[in-house]
Amino acid sequence: MLSKHLESNVVFSKRVSSWEEAIKVASEPLLNKDFINQSYVRDMIENVHKYGPYIVIMPGVAMPHARNEGGVIKTGISFLKLDTPVLFPEEKEVGIVIVLAAEDSSGHMDLLSDLSSLLIEEDIKYKLENAQSEEEIINLIKMVE
Amino acid sequence: MLTETPVTQNSKSSPSIRARIQAGGGFLTNMVLPNIGAFIAWGILTALFIPTGWIPNETLGSMVGPSITYLLPLLLAITGGKMVAGQRGAVMGAIGAMGLIVGSDIPMFLGAMIIGPLGGLLIKKFDRLIENKIPAGFEMVINNFSIGILGFLLMLVSFSFIGPVIESANQFVTSAIEALVATGFLPLLSLINEPAKVLFLNNVIDQGIYYPLGMQQTLEAGKSIYFTVASNPGPGLGLLLAFTFFGKKVSRRTAPGAIIIHFFGGIHELYFPYVLMKPLTILGMIAGGMSGIATIQLFGAGLVAGPSPGSIFAYLALTPNGSFTGIILGVIVATIVSFIVTSIILKLDKKPEVEEELTNSIEKSKAMKSEGKNILNSSEDVSNQSSGVEKISFACDAGAGSSAMGATTFRKKLQKENINGIEVKHYRIEDVPKDSDIIVVHKNLLDRTKMSFADKKIISIENYIGDPKLEDLINELKG
Repeated sequence: MLSKHLESNVVFSKRVSSWEEAIKVASEPLLNKDFINQSYVRDMIENVHKYGPYIVIMPGVAMPHARNEGGVIKTGISFLKLDTPVLFPEEKEVGIVIVLAAEDSSGHMDLLSDLSSLLIEEDIKYKLENAQSEEEIINLIKMVE
Repeated sequence: MLTETPVTQNSKSSPSIRARIQAGGGFLTNMVLPNIGAFIAWGILTALFIPTGWIPNETLGSMVGPSITYLLPLLLAITGGKMVAGQRGAVMGAIGAMGLIVGSDIPMFLGAMIIGPLGGLLIKKFDRLIENKIPAGFEMVINNFSIGILGFLLMLVSFSFIGPVIESANQFVTSAIEALVATGFLPLLSLINEPAKVLFLNNVIDQGIYYPLGMQQTLEAGKSIYFTVASNPGPGLGLLLAFTFFGKKVSRRTAPGAIIIHFFGGIHELYFPYVLMKPLTILGMIAGGMSGIATIQLFGAGLVAGPSPGSIFAYLALTPNGSFTGIILGVIVATIVSFIVTSIILKLDKKPEVEEELTNSIEKSKAMKSEGKNILNSSEDVSNQSSGVEKISFACDAGAGSSAMGATTFRKKLQKENINGIEVKHYRIEDVPKDSDIIVVHKNLLDRTKMSFADKKIISIENYIGDPKLEDLINELKG
């Protein structure tokens, strides 16, 4: 499931100027495919401004998302890997940004479940952090699916 | 839903205005109560070590002045600021209070209780204003400099503002008392004395007006009633007794200790915080003071010198032969009257105090309504909190992302540990079911969650995956 969703949705970047930028870059694949529109990107950034970096779900990994208030057209997920981590508020270093766009509150559960299995394993998380290509990442995911 | 009793509905929706008034009173109480301990510490210190104290000690007594000038007002201002805007408010409150303290020559209790929350409000408004407008990476700088600059200004304003205010208050009190003395009807003096005492203008009136008047009279008559008009320990004793019997929670438990320091130690400042947290009780003080003066006047009694500190012992030591009945009765009558009036005030106030809990229940019922839950199910089952955890709810703003991630990860962990029978789900904060045993939420969202679920066990985490607190929870559930 997850591996399919991530196909051609993985972005690599050397560095970004700010965490806002990181969210924008990570959203690009979903924007290009019309899964989400600009307002959703704004909402995700706004959320962090409002509530703090709670979307940093574990050290090094951020999962920006927001309520779907018309900004999500289709459930999807995209993945940004940064060579140089970016700082989120409260000095949180993030190297992996996973944009989650959920059409409703249930349709994406198996995606999250896979994602959770992926991140829960220390060594897989480590490999993710050091992956160099989309193929590598997709293969890692297939291992746990 | 149809069986929802209209009675509970009414009782929960109507008190909004009363609850709001109560919130104001509760605010004062909450600002003073946490600091009573410091008042007591200061009271003991003072009763023991001042030159007229029980065991005078110049070295140790040197702490008395700075403590009442700086420590107590700062604590009030810090607590007040904190209640409005958290730690940032506390800092602002303290900075602002410093202007008052240095700018005046009397202890700034009331002023601190105003400037504290005001400072908090100021920084809160400012923070709101610039919210979302801080360029990334500048948060620390802006946060610190906003307090720095606003605090600096607040300090200047309060410093330059307070001097003239105190001076005109002194002038007002002095001329008011002179006018009242001229009428010859001395009980009226309490109208000015009691409020002035709580505002720390007591030295002005005692040493500035009453003692000179008293000394003059003593030269002619051998005693004077003027020494008693503002120093009678009776009204304060009555007030503290009333708090002892009818006060709430902490105020009730601390009042007996305050009595000892006030009545036997003569440190009247000990009852000030109790008046400050329920300002209406000043009526009891005035009534007590008036009846005390009236009694002493009736018996033609007086003291031979100014009792300092105004303890019962100093009173008795300075009572000339022939005045004992009048003086003792004066203290007793003042005590009884102030006790009765204050008790009535506290009793009347009780209803709104209950509403403090009522306000909570309004919050709760709102929360329940918003999720369309049956109010009849509201019988809180606090019973199975530690032992039988059945429902753990992960919450976040959207209720679909991080909370879902946390919940699914946590479910997997439970599975791995072979822990069964626990429902782990994720929700938007406001949709969290009322019957959750434990709510897990990110620490950034904790305050918001607490507002709706004040009585629940809430675990605040830093990471939705692999947070140590979640590991602890797993271990707890295992055991």
